[in-house]
Amino acid sequence: MFNQSALGGFGATATPSTANPMKDFEVAQPPDDSVSSLAFSPATLPQNFLIAGSWDNNVSCWEIEQNGSSVPKSMQSCGGPVLDVAWSDDGTKVFKAGCDKQAKMWDLASNQVVQVAMHDAPIKTCHWIKAPNYSYVDFPMAVVGTAGRQIIVYQLEGKPQEYKKLDSPLKYQHRCVAIFRDKKKVPTGYALGSVEGRVAIQYVNPTNPKDNFTFKCHRSNGTPNGYQDIYAVNDIAFHPIHGTLATVGADGSFSFWDKDARTKLKPSELMEQPITRCAFNHNGQIFAYSVSYDWSRGHEFYNTQKKNYIFLRSCYEELKPRTSS
Amino acid sequence: MGRKKKKQSKPWCWYCNREFEDEKILIQHQKAKHFKCHICHKKLYTGPGLSIHCMQVHKETIDKVPNSMPNRSNIDIEIYGMEGIPAADLKEHERQKQGSRGNDSGSDDDEPSAKRPKPEGLLGNAPGVMQGVPGMMPGMMPPPGMGPGMHHMGPMMQMGHMGPHFMHHPGKKNSLFFLRMQMMPPHMQAMMQGQGGPAKPLFPSAIPTSSPGGPSAPVVGADFKPISSGASSKIIHPAEDISLEETRARHPKYARSIPSKSDDGASSSSTAASELAIAVSAAQQAAVHQQKQVEAMNQHAAMMQRFPVRVTGPPISMTMGGPIMAPMRHHQMIPGPPTLIGGPLMRPPPLSMPP
Repeated sequence: MFNQSALGGFGATATPSTANPMKDFEVAQPPDDSVSSLAFSPATLPQNFLIAGSWDNNVSCWEIEQNGSSVPKSMQSCGGPVLDVAWSDDGTKVFKAGCDKQAKMWDLASNQVVQVAMHDAPIKTCHWIKAPNYSYVDFPMAVVGTAGRQIIVYQLEGKPQEYKKLDSPLKYQHRCVAIFRDKKKVPTGYALGSVEGRVAIQYVNPTNPKDNFTFKCHRSNGTPNGYQDIYAVNDIAFHPIHGTLATVGADGSFSFWDKDARTKLKPSELMEQPITRCAFNHNGQIFAYSVSYDWSRGHEFYNTQKKNYIFLRSCYEELKPRTSS
Repeated sequence: MGRKKKKQSKPWCWYCNREFEDEKILIQHQKAKHFKCHICHKKLYTGPGLSIHCMQVHKETIDKVPNSMPNRSNIDIEIYGMEGIPAADLKEHERQKQGSRGNDSGSDDDEPSAKRPKPEGLLGNAPGVMQGVPGMMPGMMPPPGMGPGMHHMGPMMQMGHMGPHFMHHPGKKNSLFFLRMQMMPPHMQAMMQGQGGPAKPLFPSAIPTSSPGGPSAPVVGADFKPISSGASSKIIHPAEDISLEETRARHPKYARSIPSKSDDGASSSSTAASELAIAVSAAQQAAVHQQKQVEAMNQHAAMMQRFPVRVTGPPISMTMGGPIMAPMRHHQMIPGPPTLIGGPLMRPPPLSMPP
């Protein structure tokens, strides 16, 4: 399957090992500026396509082959930095949204782009929701983290409506949120990441208040009594099969966790720059993460010379849950 | 604080009387030599902690601290580094040091009393730790608000058993009490999992969300180890409470391409003239893109096989707003068929692409 040993055909330059300490596959011709969003094609397509939106105003598409090599397929420009991308579930269209306040639909077959939405301000996220008249509702749940440290859970079946409004368990600014499902693949809770190196696992309807918990991550070790750097959790992604999760942080590392066993499955080495986003492909074989500057140290540390990377890792075994429960 | 302490003596281990350069090393020594479980080799933080661990995880009782002197082997006394050492033993140690050192009198009179408030500070420095204590107590038991004896009857028994034990040490021990409370979860959970040493756990500082306004605590360290100072960690994030993307979008490099974005009151340009200026620079950016397209068009034919592109008649709607359309169209005419503008921007193929 996704073979880790063969490197496959890459682009020209060799990557220094400091930039790729985990020796993962490097995606060819990455964007010129920070990657803001990553999305894999859905299961409806036989091949794996990866879409990345970037601050260089482009959305790029690669086909990811079984041996780990990536083939740039196509690219689209936007009027401004792209902040989020999403696939339609039939895999024929890609949605992109960003600072130009518009959401656009890109039909891959015809390569046409059509504007589908307009807002008054930059759009941070866009998602494809399966409508209720399909036989299997994918996401009846949506979770929004607000700037006022609240969480709003929406019920999307029928007419979208607010289901619950909660105060955040985290004391610092929210950075990312990801929904997870229970054993029956029904969305049942979410993971919330903050800028303070902490993730909260929250069930929407917990059977036991102790089901909800937080854990710390993406902090530099330092001495136990001394200085510790705390980094933002930039993205969280749940493995579609195992239900385990991955977090990526501004410290430049990714970690795999099992939230049910409450343990860390695997940490990674540090990359040279923060990791901004991560994504799993539809069958959970590939973990993609993007290494680029996320602005966590302000504009002074923005270095246009530094290359942006997207790495792919064969992750199915590493993300297996620790316990059998 | 540091000066006085060092003047008194180097940190020494109450259990075996050895001296160390600083307290950190002393603690490491204690963990490795005195607080290590002989069955699973897990390192605990205190004597009572070790005792509880062995009881709950291995069902074994421990009566004395490993590798300790016979008069210092009491497992119930709570020592962590230099904290918790009884005053009498401190004095005795001092006297012994004086005897061997000669006439370096120092200020050992106020030492014992100076020591007393200090241990409070060890954990008291952590903001919100103290107020967390009463909150933690019921929080430790399963669902706070419900009485003990809900589902977890088994561990409850253990806890109740230990309860009176905790109360032995009033006053100063309050801070260590919290330390012990923090120790409970690994034991509780390890027991509930039914496993001994491996597959442990836990996320550092699993805080049940039920504890209200609980310690925001970047202070409590990994694996429930209390950190002495909370002020020495730093969050790598700009000070403003807006998202990184918002901060970045305000940077001049990106602000140009964002047509008149209007944040809360921070609208950079509202006049039509400046909007046009933005539009022009955005058009220039698009022109750069078009340059690349001209180069890429040579590759286009090869790409067609892979990713068929239907060249359609009507031009694709541009991403710019309305007023910009006019200058844009002008640009479109130059490179050739307008339909391909904004269309597939094929990069030169990678070397590995098969025909």
